[in-house]
Amino acid sequence: MMRDEPVRRLPMALSALVALALSVLPLPATIDAFRPDFLVLVVFYWSIESPRAGGLALAFLAGLSLDVIRGVVLGQHALALTLMAAWATHLRLRLRVFSLLSQSLTIFALLTGYQFILFWVDGATGNPVTAFSRWLAPVIGGLIWPVLAGALSRLHDR
Amino acid sequence: MVAFRNTDAAGRTSGLLLRCVLYSLLALGLIVFDKRYDHLGEIRRFLSVAAYPVQVAVASPFEGWHWLRESVSSRDALRADKARLEAELRVANFRLQRYEALEAEAQRLRALRSNASGFAERFLIGDIMDLDIDAFRERVLVDKGARDGVFVGQAVLDAGGVFGQVARVEQLTSEVILLSDASHAIPVQINRNGLRTIAVGTGDMGHLKLPYLSTSADVITGDLVVTSGLGGGFPAGYPVGTVAEVRRDPAQSLADVVVRPAAALDRSRELMFVWLKPDAQAPPAAARAPVDTAAPPKAAATPNAAAAPKPRGAPVP
Repeated sequence: MMRDEPVRRLPMALSALVALALSVLPLPATIDAFRPDFLVLVVFYWSIESPRAGGLALAFLAGLSLDVIRGVVLGQHALALTLMAAWATHLRLRLRVFSLLSQSLTIFALLTGYQFILFWVDGATGNPVTAFSRWLAPVIGGLIWPVLAGALSRLHDR
Repeated sequence: MVAFRNTDAAGRTSGLLLRCVLYSLLALGLIVFDKRYDHLGEIRRFLSVAAYPVQVAVASPFEGWHWLRESVSSRDALRADKARLEAELRVANFRLQRYEALEAEAQRLRALRSNASGFAERFLIGDIMDLDIDAFRERVLVDKGARDGVFVGQAVLDAGGVFGQVARVEQLTSEVILLSDASHAIPVQINRNGLRTIAVGTGDMGHLKLPYLSTSADVITGDLVVTSGLGGGFPAGYPVGTVAEVRRDPAQSLADVVVRPAAALDRSRELMFVWLKPDAQAPPAAARAPVDTAAPPKAAATPNAAAAPKPRGAPVP
């Protein structure tokens, strides 16, 4: 059975690449802690927007590339991103009718879950990062979600 | 404002749970294999080569900017730079005049003690790539890797002193962990009196700690802290930092000593990878044993070269 939904793999891959670049872009140390997880937000967006275009595969691959670039144990970001992207996909029908505020709050919850899985794997593999600033990224991510989602929907609606 | 398309709003994504479980199991398997069995070195190396273009693409605009700024610097600035460099070179040459004689003497003394603390044999310059690897760990990515012979645990210096050591090696790049990383420790000694201890990172690039000195230890503000070379990882005698603050709380048994790093941890762009002389890597215990039996009084009298200044005409083997 063919669906009329266009499979938007190109904008998906492009936005993921740009987000990956943004997440390793050098920033001054003072604002570095305030950097949102761009790639995670982009993966969430595509999981909600078009899960059929391979949202989970994208999540897994994006997580794997984060693992390689950040040099942590292979599979850590992949696990966290896969689980949270699946949850976002599960919630997507509700998310679409949510108000902007509720959307942001849900994204905040998803990002916190993501961060918690990272935290847990960090601890389980023997190099815990207990810095408080790691819990800042979900807040920032929730705050910029409306802007990012708006920009991305404009990107592929054109 | 944020409008999602409704084209697939009618149907559920079939098999979401199944795919989620599959991918998660795959990721968990990767974690276990990578951590427990360390079988993924080759895969990781291959993946890192694939990631290299992204890293270069992100870093290159910044490098281009540095290049541009250098290439348009004015004639006056260049002239001022040249004058400054010439002055620095003059001072450095003055200092070097006695260096060779001193180094030879140090070699003799070390041979006498059979100290295997190691001399730097070969250097390789690497450039830091403009990338933020991890906001929570103090690490940098350098553009030299396994291809250039870099190995894990290798000492890395900058122009000011010890910078850190290699934590991970990929084919084309390597990751250097800074002295100031909270999980990094380096064997050091106080240059003034040879007191040996360990300098531990704090997670803040501005300072290190010497947590294992007792309150009665002879350490004062301004003391130079150098590598002791024990453990064999770092060459001996390179500056680590200067003591910035000593707090002694009579109620505690250990003093609170803060060291300001000598290396420009937050500003350096060029690093030096160091290879120690192969013979200096020999296990110290094996090397020291025969000397101890041959000349026990001497070995006992000079636990440390820096601690016990010898007369000029020290016996030469």
